Amino acid sequence: MRIFIRGSGRAARGRAGVPLCWIVGLLIALGVLSGASLHAGPAPPDVNAVLAKLDDLYKSSGSIGRVEMTVVRPGSTRTLVMRVWTRGEDRALIIIDSPAREAGTATLRVGQNLWNYLPRIARTIRIPPSAMLSPWMGSDFTNDDLVQESSYREDYNARITGRSTDPPGWQLRLDAKPDTVGLWRRIDLVVSDDGWLPVVERHYDRRGDLARVMRFDQVRVMGGRRIPTRVEVTPTGKPGHRTVMRYLEMQFNANVPESTFSLQRLEQNR
Amino acid sequence: MTLSPLGKYALRSLTRHSRRTLLSVLGIGIGCAVALIATAYIRGEGDLIERAAALSGTGHLRVSPAGWLPQRDDRLRLRDWQQALAIARQTPGVAAATPRARSNGLLAFGTRVAGVEIVGVDPATEPRLNRVVRSIGAGRYLRPDDRGATVIGQGVADRLRVRLDDELLVTVAARDGNLQSAILRIVGIVRTGSQTVDSTVCQIRLPELEALTGRPGAAEVAVLLERSEEMPAVQAALQKALPAGNVVHTWIEVLPELKASFDLDQGFTRLLIGTIILVVLLGITSAQLASVLERRREFAVLSALGMKELSIARLLLLEAGALGLLGAVTGLLLGVPVVYYLATVGIDYGAFVDADLAISNVLIDKVFHADMGFWLVPQALAIALGATLVATVYPVWFAAKTDPASALRVAQ
Amino acid sequence: MRSSTLRLAWRNLGRNRKRTGLALAAIGLGQFALLAMSGITRGYTDAMLETVTGPMVGHVQIHAPGWRDEQSLELSVTALDARLDALREEPGVARASARIYAPALVAVTRDAQAAVVLGIDPEAESGSKGLLATAPEGVRPGEHRVLVGRALAQSLGVTPGSELAVVGQGKDGSIANDLYTVAGVIPSAIDLVNRQGVLMSLEDAQQLFVMPDEASEIILHATRPEAARELASAVAARPAFAGLEVLPWQDVVPELVAILELADVSSYIVLIFVFVAAAAGVANTMMMATFERLHEFGMLLALGATPARIMRLIVAEAALLGLLGVALGTLLGAGFVAATQGSGLNLAALGGEAAAEATWQGMAIPIHIFPRLAATDVLVGVAAVAVTSLLAALWPAWHAARLEPMEAMRS
Repeated sequence: MRIFIRGSGRAARGRAGVPLCWIVGLLIALGVLSGASLHAGPAPPDVNAVLAKLDDLYKSSGSIGRVEMTVVRPGSTRTLVMRVWTRGEDRALIIIDSPAREAGTATLRVGQNLWNYLPRIARTIRIPPSAMLSPWMGSDFTNDDLVQESSYREDYNARITGRSTDPPGWQLRLDAKPDTVGLWRRIDLVVSDDGWLPVVERHYDRRGDLARVMRFDQVRVMGGRRIPTRVEVTPTGKPGHRTVMRYLEMQFNANVPESTFSLQRLEQNR
Repeated sequence: MTLSPLGKYALRSLTRHSRRTLLSVLGIGIGCAVALIATAYIRGEGDLIERAAALSGTGHLRVSPAGWLPQRDDRLRLRDWQQALAIARQTPGVAAATPRARSNGLLAFGTRVAGVEIVGVDPATEPRLNRVVRSIGAGRYLRPDDRGATVIGQGVADRLRVRLDDELLVTVAARDGNLQSAILRIVGIVRTGSQTVDSTVCQIRLPELEALTGRPGAAEVAVLLERSEEMPAVQAALQKALPAGNVVHTWIEVLPELKASFDLDQGFTRLLIGTIILVVLLGITSAQLASVLERRREFAVLSALGMKELSIARLLLLEAGALGLLGAVTGLLLGVPVVYYLATVGIDYGAFVDADLAISNVLIDKVFHADMGFWLVPQALAIALGATLVATVYPVWFAAKTDPASALRVAQ
Repeated sequence: MRSSTLRLAWRNLGRNRKRTGLALAAIGLGQFALLAMSGITRGYTDAMLETVTGPMVGHVQIHAPGWRDEQSLELSVTALDARLDALREEPGVARASARIYAPALVAVTRDAQAAVVLGIDPEAESGSKGLLATAPEGVRPGEHRVLVGRALAQSLGVTPGSELAVVGQGKDGSIANDLYTVAGVIPSAIDLVNRQGVLMSLEDAQQLFVMPDEASEIILHATRPEAARELASAVAARPAFAGLEVLPWQDVVPELVAILELADVSSYIVLIFVFVAAAAGVANTMMMATFERLHEFGMLLALGATPARIMRLIVAEAALLGLLGVALGTLLGAGFVAATQGSGLNLAALGGEAAAEATWQGMAIPIHIFPRLAATDVLVGVAAVAVTSLLAALWPAWHAARLEPMEAMRS
């Protein structure tokens, strides 16, 4: 399950080479969940329906919310709390509220362009595309997560492989179609019985080795949608590395005015 | 050819004192030969850095778009690159030419990423100019019929923890501002033994880089010359022939960090050659002087017999000239075979030096070749004749001043 | 050798000053050439070492283990000041300084570019071997003033006085950002500095990236570069540096080791050439001189000297000449090295370059060699040249001993 939803078409979206970049895609993507079906029973669900649900879980035409991200490394733990606004698929504004030292730092995305506002020096800078490539901040979300040019429905052949008892739910196996451009050759999922919400995802790299595990929990109703509000990513082979994201508040399909996504707004730090 | 009386005397003098003549000629010849071999060796070694740079991918010359040099902007493209390439290949003095384009990119595998400079190449001609890609540690180099293939350095593979046949996700900032991705399969891993080189190599076929970046065409044509001394001439000729908007740079402009090493080498080389030639010159001169000094009696006799100083001087000069010529010929006979061997087979330092060598990502050959050319003849003549003639100056002056009687009186 | 032979030899030498002078000159020249070349060659390999390692590498580097692979700020050298103090007391350390390397985005207008911040010690890096060697006169980073690499400056459109925003990630993960004044533009042959470098003082960098009393690496310059490995071992053995990676330059850039070894081997070959050239001259002179004296020897034989005596005489003369000549040559050679050791030889000027220094894009790069002699050089020269002159006299000596006096006198 991806937390971030695709941009338009095959072209990858820009990812900022600066601190909040990995948030951008996520928040751009908060999407409308069109009438999630809460029905789940012992009968194996329709695979395509499940994939559709996963693809669209956070999709929204506009969202307003607060998010907390914690990056754990050997020797340090860093937690950010941010307010987020998105509109469509290519507009997003993120403002950091905590820690106090960085409060007011903001990121704006409009189309291909990405800007950062730094309150301490009262400057706005535009992030160059080349910086979007180099790994900037160590979070365990990959470039691919943010960019989102693929979808489970289109890029994977999926099938239900059985029941899972712990955690309880349906096991799915996704194998990448031959021409898919992406990092994962295979994904093993467990979706919950009620609502087909993701519970656990195991991503395997293109050689077939397990690369990372994502766990989803703290399911709540937020903004009229029932979603896992906590996502934890643990990469394999990197002891002490972990990233946790929590949705604190979220409104989906909100009407966020275009004027929110402007540089003046960025600098005024609404 | 009828010789003047002086000439005959000179000839007879030389032939009668065969041992002295032989010693002289041999002495001059050996000195000459040593100077020739040393010069050939030092000259051959002197362009070590240049050859290293040229063969590690930079080439002797690089054709780039105008305006590329200050910031090395990878996004610029050549004007009519195919025509530029063809022209380069046809220019006299050019041994090989290959096109390239570059882009910064991110390679990703699983949860690991590595930023690299991706180079789009022509697999058929790239190895000729780039020694680096011949050191394949695993797999093979790119082929013209490859699709979605890449060759990376061992250091890159280590950073990503990948192996041969693994598939990497590559992402670049494309022309339209978007990020563009593709899958590349590792068909070869380069292992040169140099950590800096091995952690930066990443090559794909040029057409694929064009497609990935959305920027068609090549950004550079690297040119390898037959002889590095022709660089200025070929640069001028090539610049004139190229489509406008393209500039021909030398390897020094492209790799300025090597310039210091290069200049040091050049300066030292000149110093060495100068010193050795000087030593040889002085050695020959002193030997000749020694020989001539001992003949004061003879000159005194001649003078007493009525020979004018001028004639004695001319006699000495004739002898010196003859000795010089013979010495030069001997020097060439002795030296040229050695120079030829050193130029063709060369000296392989691989025996003394184990590891591979590199400066600034430039690999250095371990086999030294001497430089061989027509310059050998004028140099031999200059040394031999120069020395013998200089050696006659003092005796000539001295002999002219000698009072015959007092000279004859002295026992030696 | 009997003293009478020696005395006679000595007197012979004195009697024909020109011939003696010539022979002495040839031998002395040979020894001088050898010594001068040895000195210059040592100076050359020293210069090669400095040139190929360049200001970036230094002689010994100290890092936290693992830093060289990932270069992340998390892997830094801590307790920096205490460690630097300890190093400055270490014998063999000529200079110790620290650096911080961190990627960053920099901007003058709104458009940011990728760059690398180098936090350096302005004092230490101002010497001819430091990163600031090519900086404009008197311009140094410090107190929120920075130098920007020339190509980067052009690309950004900065000039001295511009205000530069620098944004990066601190060691603690926080967003590092601050404003700096551009004090100057630094042209550099080092690609990293030229195209991406923003040079600031170490204190400024420590403040920006939240690294109090820390650095990415410590660089040492040794008083004797040839002994870099020993110095590294000595430092690594100190308890203050346990747990850190202490590497001599040979381990940092092993590919350069072979180049210098190559330069060494090549130098030996060159010295051999010089020696052969000198020896040829010496031998030629000695032989020539001796052969020209056959007349004289013939007379001595006629007067009753034994062939053995003649030989001994010639050998004695050659030995005396050899020793004297070598002494002379050694004096001159050592004198030459001593004289040029201080200011060095300016290679560019010798070679006929238009400027006295090589220049690249307006940067003056002096190419100096500081000759240096080791005791072995002198001894080798003495042995080789003296022996050569001796041997060179032997053949004519042998020939002289076998002479028929009449024939000899007639020649």
